[in-house]
Amino acid sequence: MGEETATAQQIADREMIERIGRGDQTAFGALYDRLNGPLYSLALRMLGDAADAQDALQDVFLQIWSRARTYDPEQSSVFSWTVLLTRSRVIDRLRARGRRLRVLVASSDVEEDPTEAADASTAESVADTADKNDEAARVRSILSNLPSEQREAIELAFFTHLTHHEIAARLGQPLGTVKARIRRGLLKLRERLRTRL
Amino acid sequence: MITEEQQDQAALYALGLLNLDEATAFESELSARAELRNYVRELREAAGDLALSAPSKSPPASLKRRVMREIVVETEGSAPIFAQRPSHAWMPWAIAAILIVFCGMLALDRARLQRELADIRAADPLMQTIFFTLTPSGSAPADAKATVAWQPGRQTGVIRITNLPAPESGRDYQLWAVDAAHKDPISAGVIRVDKNGVAQIRFKPVEMAHQVKAFAISLEREGGVPKKEGPILLAGTA
Repeated sequence: MGEETATAQQIADREMIERIGRGDQTAFGALYDRLNGPLYSLALRMLGDAADAQDALQDVFLQIWSRARTYDPEQSSVFSWTVLLTRSRVIDRLRARGRRLRVLVASSDVEEDPTEAADASTAESVADTADKNDEAARVRSILSNLPSEQREAIELAFFTHLTHHEIAARLGQPLGTVKARIRRGLLKLRERLRTRL
Repeated sequence: MITEEQQDQAALYALGLLNLDEATAFESELSARAELRNYVRELREAAGDLALSAPSKSPPASLKRRVMREIVVETEGSAPIFAQRPSHAWMPWAIAAILIVFCGMLALDRARLQRELADIRAADPLMQTIFFTLTPSGSAPADAKATVAWQPGRQTGVIRITNLPAPESGRDYQLWAVDAAHKDPISAGVIRVDKNGVAQIRFKPVEMAHQVKAFAISLEREGGVPKKEGPILLAGTA
């Protein structure tokens, strides 16, 4: 997406990041206010633990503060940049958790299921109250209308720390099929969501 | 023209699923292809959208204060200290000022390190985990065993049970935390073993338990009970 199609929100985000890069704490506070909800929700969905998700979110915002000057608008919007930063920090935590759990239950021959946290969080969401965020509801609606095999592939790819080889093994599908499902699912999601939050 | 293979790799790259070698190879293609870079950007935006499908939750307000405090400390720690005056008459004052600023920075740094240490302790389960070994008591098989890794700070734990046969129909095993501050054991949930008599689950007691002295497993009615009724099968202290 080029400059000509950037939304007003994307432009405002970019200005905030530039100010943050110059050490502007007010801009940082404003960006925190804007993004803490979706980034925390993502971290919580992946980690399934509120304390862990809060620690991850703190790491992410400190990274935003220290790395704002490296943000490249050519590569992604500020929102996507922070989402991928969050996902990356959360995956670090999930991997560390996996290692620690193996130590904790050294006598165990059962490995932690990397999708467990996501599944637990999904269960929690069923009991959750009605969503107030229209954009989020719209994404969920679009996602639920994707072909189930595409939705399953992109959810496993995005919300867990499985590799694409592990996803293929889990789904019992050839690697090429899984790659194509992830790509097609992402593109369909993008096509149907041209407007930003 | 982007080939289908490149499109697939681009999707995996945008999601961070490529390993280091694959990502490096793909980045060399990216550097030479503006069209491919735009394609990756589109996929990154889609990944950003995907985050919105997570159930909407908000962190506590205290987290913002924590984050803002951290960046203030970082900023003050790296700010220019002092613009030195050329006149020698000001040297003693300058030295005194430097010492004051230096002491202030040391104090800030010490506070930051203490916070970081606290964060590391909070983030590292191994630094705050208490282990309990539960051994048979009553009618449990002699080789039945359970190990509990309990994190009081997070009020969660992991239990691993071996050699405990599944209970008869209409019954369930239930885990209890025996806490010094509570008169009765606190339920930590029903545990179901597999056909090999093994279970490994995470649990969270239904009430806060800050002074757990022991964990125990009892045989209860199916679905569990709010207050322990049945016989204790396994129990153990830290």
